[in-house]
Amino acid sequence: MANTKSAVRKRVRVWDLPTRIWHWSVLILFAICWWTADTDHMRWHLLAGYGVLGLVTFRIVWGFCGGQTARFSSFVRGPAGVWRYVRKLLKRDGDESLGHNPLGALSIIVMLSLLLLQTILGLFAVNDDGGASGPLSQWVSYETGRRFAHLHAANFNLLLLLIGLHLTAIVFYRLVRGENLVSAMIHGYKSHRASGETPYFVTPWRAILVAASIFIGVVLLVRI
Amino acid sequence: MGFNSFRSCRRRVPLVCISAALLMSLAGGANAADITQIVHARKAHFKTLGRNDKFLRDEMHRSHPDWHWIGVYAKQIAALSNALPTWFPAGSGKGHGVATQASREIWEKPTAFARAAQRMKISADNLTRDAAKHDLNALAFNARKLGQSCDSCHRVFRTRSSWW
Repeated sequence: MANTKSAVRKRVRVWDLPTRIWHWSVLILFAICWWTADTDHMRWHLLAGYGVLGLVTFRIVWGFCGGQTARFSSFVRGPAGVWRYVRKLLKRDGDESLGHNPLGALSIIVMLSLLLLQTILGLFAVNDDGGASGPLSQWVSYETGRRFAHLHAANFNLLLLLIGLHLTAIVFYRLVRGENLVSAMIHGYKSHRASGETPYFVTPWRAILVAASIFIGVVLLVRI
Repeated sequence: MGFNSFRSCRRRVPLVCISAALLMSLAGGANAADITQIVHARKAHFKTLGRNDKFLRDEMHRSHPDWHWIGVYAKQIAALSNALPTWFPAGSGKGHGVATQASREIWEKPTAFARAAQRMKISADNLTRDAAKHDLNALAFNARKLGQSCDSCHRVFRTRSSWW
């Protein structure tokens, strides 16, 4: 083991509970949305979709008022920052980000954007032969609603592609950089330089308040 | 485009088209030359059904629903639901050079398909009854039932494209 100061490591809490719950909830609800759409359980598809809408909204708000590693300001970098990080990517002792690294930041921004777009498209989508349509489809014509539905399907394929990239990145980090991103997203801790900073977190009550407000907002929006 | 514009657009939906579409339904067997026409007509019927279903739901969600139009849409849904079993003559499934999502189960399990079509017909007939009574709660309930009957039929009798 190297004697350098940077080689001394400690267990650092990097992900707060709301962020971890959010991550796994999105995964579960996305899977439910996929399965219910493929098996024509449209009532459940709509409910799961409302859940995804609420979760995406929560994550966007949490990106401004959550703990340090959840805040966009702590991980979103410009092209130069991303490029600097990419150049060090293959080195095990390269850049070590506490939360999302600059490349992961790009991924989460695109993921949130596509998920938000997916839920918005779904709100206005119209089923081809009726039976189930988005709760805001009354504001568009049948033809426009069908276009929303086609875009909803096309955007879903983009999301699958992005999820594939996400999973590939997890495997890459495990094999090449020796980082276990999955376990960190389960228990919230990861091994980090002892000399590194310790992130700050906010009270869980803030997350509960934000989540409750968003829940009420989504219910009012879709009039369940 | 405003909501009222959509409302005026949909009111121009010609009832003649519905009647013509129903007349085009073929109850007997089909020869190869007719299959493309039958499948296209079937898809058009389902789109008409979808339009009327949407119009009905849109009207239901208004603060002051127009019961005249609810009645019109409910009757059209009922008429299309009654005709639905005739849209699938023997030999109009896959493998005839025309894209269709109709599953072979339709012809392999005619009794089950007839039962599914009957469930839809009952829900659609209930809609016309609720519309005549101006009963919005019952209408909403039976609209949900109609949607469920569509879903349960799709699960068995409609194929889906998949990635593998």
